Order: sequence, then C-alpha cells, then structure tokens
Amino acid sequence: MANAVARPRGINGLVARSAAVFAPRARNLQGLLFCLPLIFLFIAFVVYPLYFEVTQALDRYTYEVLFADPIYVQTIVNTLTYVGVAVNVKLILALLLSGILQSDSRSVRFLSAIFLLPWAIPVLPGILSIRWMLSSQWGIMNLIMEDIGVGTVHWLASRWMAIGALITFHIWKYLPFWTVIFLAARRGIPRELYEAAAIDGAGPFQNFRFITFPMLKGIYLICSLLSMVFTLGDFTNVWLLTGGAPGDSTHVLATLAYRYTFLMGKIDWGVGVFATALPVTLLFIFILIKKIK
Amino acid sequence: MGQTRRDFLKTTSAAGAGALSGALGFPMVSRAQGRKLVVWWNRGYYKEEDEAMIKIAQDFQKAKNVEVDISFTIQEDLLKKIIAAIQARRVPDVAFCFYNDWEVMPNYAWQDKLAETTDVITELKPRYNEKFVQVAYCYNNVAKKRAYYGVPIEAQIMHIHYWRDLLKEVGMADDPDKIPLKWDEYWDYWKKAQDALRKKDPAKYGKLYGIGMTESTRGSDTIYNFEMALLSFGGQLLDQDGKVIADQPKNREAIVKTLHWFADLYNSGYVPPDAINWSDGDNNANFHSKSIVMTPNPSLSIPAHHFFNAPDNYFFKMATVEWPDNPGGGKASYMVAVKTILVPKDAKAPDLGKEFIRFVLEPNRFAQYIKGANGRWFPAFNDVAKDPFFAKGQVGKGGPVDYHIPLATKLYLERNVKVFDHWKSPANSQVYAENIWGKAMARTNVDKWAADKAADEAIGRMKTIFTQWR
Repeated sequence: MANAVARPRGINGLVARSAAVFAPRARNLQGLLFCLPLIFLFIAFVVYPLYFEVTQALDRYTYEVLFADPIYVQTIVNTLTYVGVAVNVKLILALLLSGILQSDSRSVRFLSAIFLLPWAIPVLPGILSIRWMLSSQWGIMNLIMEDIGVGTVHWLASRWMAIGALITFHIWKYLPFWTVIFLAARRGIPRELYEAAAIDGAGPFQNFRFITFPMLKGIYLICSLLSMVFTLGDFTNVWLLTGGAPGDSTHVLATLAYRYTFLMGKIDWGVGVFATALPVTLLFIFILIKKIK
Repeated sequence: MGQTRRDFLKTTSAAGAGALSGALGFPMVSRAQGRKLVVWWNRGYYKEEDEAMIKIAQDFQKAKNVEVDISFTIQEDLLKKIIAAIQARRVPDVAFCFYNDWEVMPNYAWQDKLAETTDVITELKPRYNEKFVQVAYCYNNVAKKRAYYGVPIEAQIMHIHYWRDLLKEVGMADDPDKIPLKWDEYWDYWKKAQDALRKKDPAKYGKLYGIGMTESTRGSDTIYNFEMALLSFGGQLLDQDGKVIADQPKNREAIVKTLHWFADLYNSGYVPPDAINWSDGDNNANFHSKSIVMTPNPSLSIPAHHFFNAPDNYFFKMATVEWPDNPGGGKASYMVAVKTILVPKDAKAPDLGKEFIRFVLEPNRFAQYIKGANGRWFPAFNDVAKDPFFAKGQVGKGGPVDYHIPLATKLYLERNVKVFDHWKSPANSQVYAENIWGKAMARTNVDKWAADKAADEAIGRMKTIFTQWR
C-alpha cells in the first residue's frame, strides 16, 4: 500500500512507539498547566456563580414567596414592557435612521456626529439631567408644559409615565449605537443590487422591501437578541431614574433582585428573581450562537 | 532559547511551593503577632464623630495591647457589607451600622448568626434608659428563646423643622411656642403659610410647598411618618408578643384613617408632587433649598447641617417643633429607632469585641463620641444624657438659644416614646424593608385606590410575611 510505513522491530521499536504515544500527552499536560489560571478563573467566576444561582434557584419555596409578592408579578410585566417596547422601537428607528445617515452629503455627516452624542455621554450625568428635567417642581419639561398651557405633569409620579420616561431614555441613549451598526451593515450591501433594481424600475420602498431588509434581516435579528439580553439585565438606568418608585411600581428584574438582596438581606429571593430571567437569557444566547454559526 | 519541559516543570514546581508556603506560612507569622480586633463602624456625618471613634480605637489598642483594625463605611454600603459578610461567614468582631436595629439584628438573631450580648447588657443595665434597651431583645429561632443580640447605644426620634423667616415674611407667628399644636390647626398652619407666601411673591414662591411630607417607598422617613400618624390615630400593628393585630377592627380603622389622611394631604396641593418619589435625603434637600416650609425628619441632620454651614440659619432662621397633639386629644407619642452595635457569631474574637464595646461605652468616652455627632443622636444611657449639651444644645456657638437639641431632649425624656417593633419579629423587619405602608400610600396617591382597599392589601401582605417567618 502506498501509505504503509515499515515499523522498527525489537527494543528500539518499543521505545519509538512509546515516545510516539506519550509525547503528545506530555505536550497536552504542558498546555493544560498553562491553561490552569484561565480554567481557575472560569470556574471561579462562571461555573461557581452559575452553580450557586441554579442551586438557589431550585428552591420551590423561593418562588412561592416571590409569587405571593404583588411587586414581583408587577415587575415581570414591567420588564417585558421595558424590553419589548424599548428594544423594538429603538431598533426599528435605528434601521430607518441608518438609511438616512447613509447619505454622503456633508450636512448628513455633520448631523451623524451630533446624533452620536447621547451615546458618548456617560450614563450617570445623562440620567441625572433627565431626572432634573422631569422634576415636577423645577423641571424644564414642566416649565414648557405650563408655558404651552398643558399644566404640570407629574412625570415620575405615576407608574406608566415613569416607565415611559425609562423607555424614552433608553431609546435616546442607545439608538445611536445600533444605528451605527445598521449603517455599517447597509454599507456592506453590494451597490450592484440597487443598480439592477433601478434598471427594473424599483422605487425606494421596493428597494427596502426586496433588497435592504432581506440583506439585513440576519443582523437585525442578532442585534435584537443582543439588545434584549443587555436590556433584560439593565440595572443602572432604572435604578438611577426611578429607583423603582413610585410605590415600587417601576422595578425591573435587576432592580427588584437588588432590592431583595441588599435592601432586605434576602439573597435567595434575589437569586430567584435573576433565575426568572435566566431561561429567557439562555434561550436568546442559544439562538444567537446558532444564528452566528 | 526555547524552554524545555524540564525547565517548565521546575519553574511551576517552584511557583507552587512558593504559593503553598505563602498560604500556610504567612498566617502563622500573623498569628504570632498577637490579638487583633476587626471593627466595622458606620461612617459619621461629621468628622468629629469619626475622629472621636478613631481616638477610642487607639486608646483601646494601647490599653489592651491589641491591634485594632477599624474601618468606616457609609451606612448603605455597610449594610450590604455586613449582610454579605454574615452570609459568607467572614465577619468582623464588631459591627456598628445605623441599619442594624431595623434590618440586621432581628433577621440574623433569628438565624442564630449573632453572638448573645446579654452579659454586656446586664452590666450596663443600671445606666440604660429602659425605653431603649428592648430593641436588642430578639428571638433566636435555633435556640428557641429571646435574648439580647446587640448593644443599643443611641437613638433618633421624629422632629418637625420649619423656616421661621418664611413665616415671619408673611406675618405669621414664627416662635416654636406659638405654633398651634392641635392636629387640624397644626397642619392648616403650614398650608396657610404656603398660600400666603405664594400670594405675596408668585414668582419667588410659585413652586413652594407648605408641607414636606415624604410618602414614598424609597424613604425610611415614610415609615416614621406613617407610624407617627398611626399612633396619633390610635392604631397598633403588633401586640406585645409580636403578633399581627393590624386587622383588628379598631386598628384597621386607624390604619384606614391614617392612609386617608396621607392621601388627602398629598392630593391637597400642599405637598410636593415628587414627595412620592423621595428618598431619605430629598426632604432635606428641599428644606435646605427653601422649597418647603416644614418637613418631618427623624434625626437632627437638617439643623446640624446649618449649624456647620450657616449658623445664622441654625440659631435665628429655623426651629424645631413637636409633632402635633393627637386628633382625639393628648400629646403625641413618638417612634424611636435605637442604633445598635453587633458582634457576629462567627467573629474570630467575640470576647475582645465585647471588651471593645464596654470600652467605647464608658461614660466620658461615649459622651465625647456622641457629642461629636452634634446632637444628631440621643444617648441610650441616662448618665450621658445628663450632659448639659443635651439640655442646652449649641448655645453660645453662634446664638443665644438653641431651638433644636433641647426640644429633641424634651421629646425623649418627657413624651411617651415607643421603640420600633422590628425586635419583636424579623417578619416586621421585612414589613419595613418592603415599605408596605409606603406602598399603601402609593396605592391611594398614584393608583387612586380607596384607603380601606389599600389598607386591606397592606394588612394582607403583612400577614403573609408573618406567616412566612414561622
């Protein structure tokens, strides 16, 4: 046979065969030792927390307690609303805006730079500014409302107004980022497709329907999933803007878990709240990985 | 030159041996250095407080020949730190946090995670103001008995602060003795002040409110406000044994009246709309900026701020006054929170920790510490409370009369005071931590529920929580 190699026989053959068998193992051991720090970090910061969360989350009593708390149920509704509305409105707007910003004109380029500013502003001053703007007593929004005759609006003093403010802030803050992503994706669509469509007499809407959207739908789905995962775990924006008020009616899962864990000392309940979101997050990540592959 | 396998194994063996000697050897060296005491202390509001405690720690270190590792942390962070430490069983020997009495002690005494302090309390009992000491008498659900699981040291009570100069500006009596104390007249007085000020100068006072009443779920001030008003309306939530009696007809009626009163007040237009979102610092901030005429506050932090930053305000432009008499007559009863030191059960040196507490609480030494807080707290010990500072306040340090500290002292010593009920059951800690009365206020103020419906939801929730703790 062409591939057949004559093997040495006797003691020399045995040594050679042993070396062939053990050398890769020794190299594997060396590699393993080099990887140990990383493995240790992975176990300490991924496996153990996950194990801790899953074991805590398996306690049925935790869920009995959580479902007996009306705030928990309200929080699930809030989270679904926040994630569902904020992410979808933001991404639809981002998709549309990316089309406008694709223009090569100077004015649009200048506007793009301005448009990116909210993303560049750190979260803390951004939210504090919005809180001051929405203050019932002193906020600029109410000064404007009063000037145009609408009267005082208690922006953060009612559940749905406060959640509306949260969603608005989220869109304002993160819209530029996703617009830039879609803009980059649009630039990757071959121009020849549009030229061919133009020869066939396609207008802007047909271009969008038959070329742009089909070419972007994969990345749109990935962006949606990524944004949902980020938003599902959002703590900072909600905590800084409403802190769950008024009347604990604007909590999302992350802030409620914080409230249970650190304000009430109920770590198991806090973990239970996070565990509520875990299957959804894992599902999103699973779809995401499949999609990327 | 490439590294050979032998070199590599030599290097990793040496590193492993080094790490092992570090892990095993160094603690032994450390243990040989002698006794060490780890103290976590709530950072004070004023540097004098912290300086006094550092001096005490240094004196203890010298007197007992021990190493004292004392650290100061702000209350919100310290609460989280203590909870995490007890869960992880890596605790200090002494922990003093302003939230201990409400959120830590009842819960962890129940779980048998705190050292019993009955020995310390027994020694200190002759010095204690009896009204305060029961706050540490908690139930241990493992030992199935009540005992002392903390050492109470200082108290805070409800006060009402107001701007005298705002009242004066519209010709209203501003002397604390002239403020009407009958229930309706009292609250109407501040409403009248708002109306008069807005009328006098709409541009300046158009956004000013008469009553800075916190009605949110974010503020512990709400709990004080609710419980004070509930006492005024003659209601009780728990009996002496810690059983829920909020659903008894008399108490339910008082709760409904209380919630109704808060809802009316909020919707009257005399309370800032954002008061349902306020955290504990927001009424202070609104008072400092003179956007409210008065505010109830359960410590003297507001006047103390002005004492340091604007003594003229402290002595001449503002004053502190009592909570009004009960609607049905009689002087108000006052809710008191008593701040407490703990020794966790897993502490490495619990006895040394108790020794440190005894050392801190020796009369002269403790008086120095508590006076460093400039009247923010009232001592839990009768001998320290006799210090002239608590009767006269800051007199002579910028003005002839102190309208704040002596009034607070009068409330502690002459009025009927009631310690918050956390000590009776950890379930009640949870009731407060959930701020269910703030939630009930939100039901009436935001969701526009009737007061009786909101009361029933809150009572139901309270009973559920108590059931979960059995």
